Amino acid sequence: MASVTTATPAKAAPWWRNLSRLSQEQVVAAIVIVLLIVFAVTLPGFATTRNILGLIRSISILGILGLGMGLIVISRSIDLSEIALMACPWGVALIANQHGLPPFWTAVLALAIAVAVGCVNGVMVAFVEAPALFVTIATTLVVYGAAYWVAPVYVVYAPQDAAALLFAGRGTLFGVPMPIIVFAAAALVMHGFLSRISIGRFIYAQGDNPDAARLSGVALRPLTLLEHVLVAVFAWLAGLVWIGQTGNMQTNIVIIGTQIFDVILVVVLGGISLVGGRGGVFSVVVGCALIGTLLNAFTIMDVNTEVQNIIRGVVLLVAIIVDNWLHPRDEETARQGE
Amino acid sequence: MNEMTVLDRPAEEATPQGVREPVLSVAKGSKIYGGVHAIEDVDFDLYPGEVHALVGENGAGKSTLCKAIAGAIQLTSGTYCVDGKPVDFYSPRDALAAGICMVYQETSLVPTMTAAQNIELGNEKLLTRFRTLNIQAQQLLQSLNFHVDPAIPVALLGTAKRQMVEIARAIYNKARIIIFDEPTASLTPEEIVHFFNLVRDLRARGVAVIYISHALEESLKISDRITVLRDGKVVVDAAKTSDMTREKLVRYMVGRDITQTHYATNRDGKTRHKATEKVLTVENVTMGAVVKNMSFSVYAGEVVGVAGLIGSGRTEIAKIIYGALKRNLINGGMIYLRGRPIRYRVPKQAINDGICYITEDRKLNGYFETMRIDDNVYVSKLATKAGWSFLLSPFKRGKLANYWVERLKIAALQRKARIVELSGGNQQKVVIAKSLAQDPSIVIFDEPTRGVDVGTIPEIHAQIRRLADEGKAVVVISSYLPEILAVSDRILVARLGRIVAEFDGATATEDKIMYAAIH
Repeated sequence: MASVTTATPAKAAPWWRNLSRLSQEQVVAAIVIVLLIVFAVTLPGFATTRNILGLIRSISILGILGLGMGLIVISRSIDLSEIALMACPWGVALIANQHGLPPFWTAVLALAIAVAVGCVNGVMVAFVEAPALFVTIATTLVVYGAAYWVAPVYVVYAPQDAAALLFAGRGTLFGVPMPIIVFAAAALVMHGFLSRISIGRFIYAQGDNPDAARLSGVALRPLTLLEHVLVAVFAWLAGLVWIGQTGNMQTNIVIIGTQIFDVILVVVLGGISLVGGRGGVFSVVVGCALIGTLLNAFTIMDVNTEVQNIIRGVVLLVAIIVDNWLHPRDEETARQGE
Repeated sequence: MNEMTVLDRPAEEATPQGVREPVLSVAKGSKIYGGVHAIEDVDFDLYPGEVHALVGENGAGKSTLCKAIAGAIQLTSGTYCVDGKPVDFYSPRDALAAGICMVYQETSLVPTMTAAQNIELGNEKLLTRFRTLNIQAQQLLQSLNFHVDPAIPVALLGTAKRQMVEIARAIYNKARIIIFDEPTASLTPEEIVHFFNLVRDLRARGVAVIYISHALEESLKISDRITVLRDGKVVVDAAKTSDMTREKLVRYMVGRDITQTHYATNRDGKTRHKATEKVLTVENVTMGAVVKNMSFSVYAGEVVGVAGLIGSGRTEIAKIIYGALKRNLINGGMIYLRGRPIRYRVPKQAINDGICYITEDRKLNGYFETMRIDDNVYVSKLATKAGWSFLLSPFKRGKLANYWVERLKIAALQRKARIVELSGGNQQKVVIAKSLAQDPSIVIFDEPTRGVDVGTIPEIHAQIRRLADEGKAVVVISSYLPEILAVSDRILVARLGRIVAEFDGATATEDKIMYAAIH
């Protein structure tokens, strides 16, 4: 049929052309595997079960936060209040716990506060139509300030006897540390949500082209609200693991730490583009794996924190440059849009 | 191969001075995107003082060739000579320095700057005195006979005047070669006449012009020579325009004879639809200065064509009905669906009531570019009340996609192809499938064949007729009159936000419609 002007592949493509078939997450996964092999051979004590479990355990919190951030970035939005959503509700809830609230209700209170703030974010973005970037910066400040008002300490200690509350962070199941299990379970649930449920498809549609999604009849406003609430739930879950691991909640990480950048780093590294609609749970997992592997190796090699920060930044830049090089979007999409 | 591909050089005959050097020539030019040839071994030349039309379907490589000439992209292989000397352009700036200028539709002007500032853009001195600048610009504009105030921000100028500023800028840059890409797409007929005079004037000054247009009639009217591209290859190399006819051009463009099916002008074979039930009534709807007291009705089982110039409120009324515009922008009027007053907040409500709107710009808000064909169709099915399900079902998705690929004859190498890998016509079919999968009873098409290859247009028209045969109410908004005449049972003409005339599809002519649209 003459109307088929679809691309006919060229006969002999050079071997490196095939690389561009790989998605960014596959590229990063390949890098991780190479690094794992290199470190296993060169670094003594790297390839032990204990070290590998410790490696995964160390990235669990980052990974859980990354799942939430990944969700919202896929929908072409962002939520910078995720760290505040993790730390402040738990800070307030633990203060309440110190005043006699039972552990179960402590967790419920933290979840309720987180979800409430998530709802505020969602309503502001979806219904007031304020840009998500500024809304979430503003809620970060408000939540942090309000939490400090209720809990005027930087470190709120968890009750050391409430095993149920601390289990998610410090317990083990069949020899596997709980944080790993929580991360794996969260990733599985999220994967199912994004790829098996129609709401997941709508999130991709919204991220790909919000106008087209709206014209196709996708109800964008409730969807946006739901996304911000889900970010809050993931932040709460990360907080639960955090408390178990450290025995306390440090509310001032909201403003002194670079955690939020780390979260965005693992999300973008794995191929969830800020353009929206691209990537998935696997992207978050490989992004975390790369960062975790590097950090773990640096710790063994005794590289200091400043150098680690530089390397993390460089890794992000390299990942983005390699992606641009492999997928030269502008030229190609410009041509296809003719 | 056919007789028209013979390499002749008619420019030598056309100019009495004898043999002349081409000002620009491309030999064996190829450009590869991701392993695919956008253009392949293209030879092209251009003589001073001629208008050379470049014709081809979407994706035939016209734009790629021109972008390469204008330095916006680099050729993968091939030689490229200006004044007989081989050159390499690494940016549009290099091309500009060599006197080559591309006039884009309206994108390359800075809207907040004045006309004078735009003309000088890229050539500013360290210190600029606005008075001098304005006087210079005024002199330039007047020498070209353009009535544009150089001190007015470009944002406030109409399309035709913006184009004048673009051309003035090209002249200011001492352009010897000007490339026009779809220059007349948003001009009124009068402005087009004026524009043609201008092109002839440029030609008389010795400027070489490359002219790209979808409207074949225009290319035939204005050009000296025509080159036809198909699938990135030259099929007609610089034929004299006087040897060409519209039918021949179409045949070369698509590579087969489709003139019989293309725009059926004989309406004997067309089944005339009998309007039955009045399904949609628009009464005195007003929105700012764009839509003013617009009223019309649509009946089940007929195709209503809405003609009119761009800016006549055609698209806006469709979007108002569909709920795509904000409700607080709408100043008044009523819309009735089967006698029930409606006013939608979001398109979702319209879709649930069986109305669908197929966008005029599929890239901007039609399809999801990261998704495959089947996902594109399935997502919009899921967004309806009837099609909603909590869990995704690959089986249902496959069934749905198969049905629509079959019905609309979407030519994809595989069902799982991503939508950006398709040709314009097939992309449009997917966008149509997305809406039709929502099972509407009222279908509004906005420019259904914009950017669609010529071969696919009759297929889309047949689908539009089929919808009416099935008893659906169909509205077709189009700027292209042959299209309106080919598909409509009834024709409405919009001008300045109102419906000003109504014609029966069987008796309307292009002249009658155009007269109503502009007077």
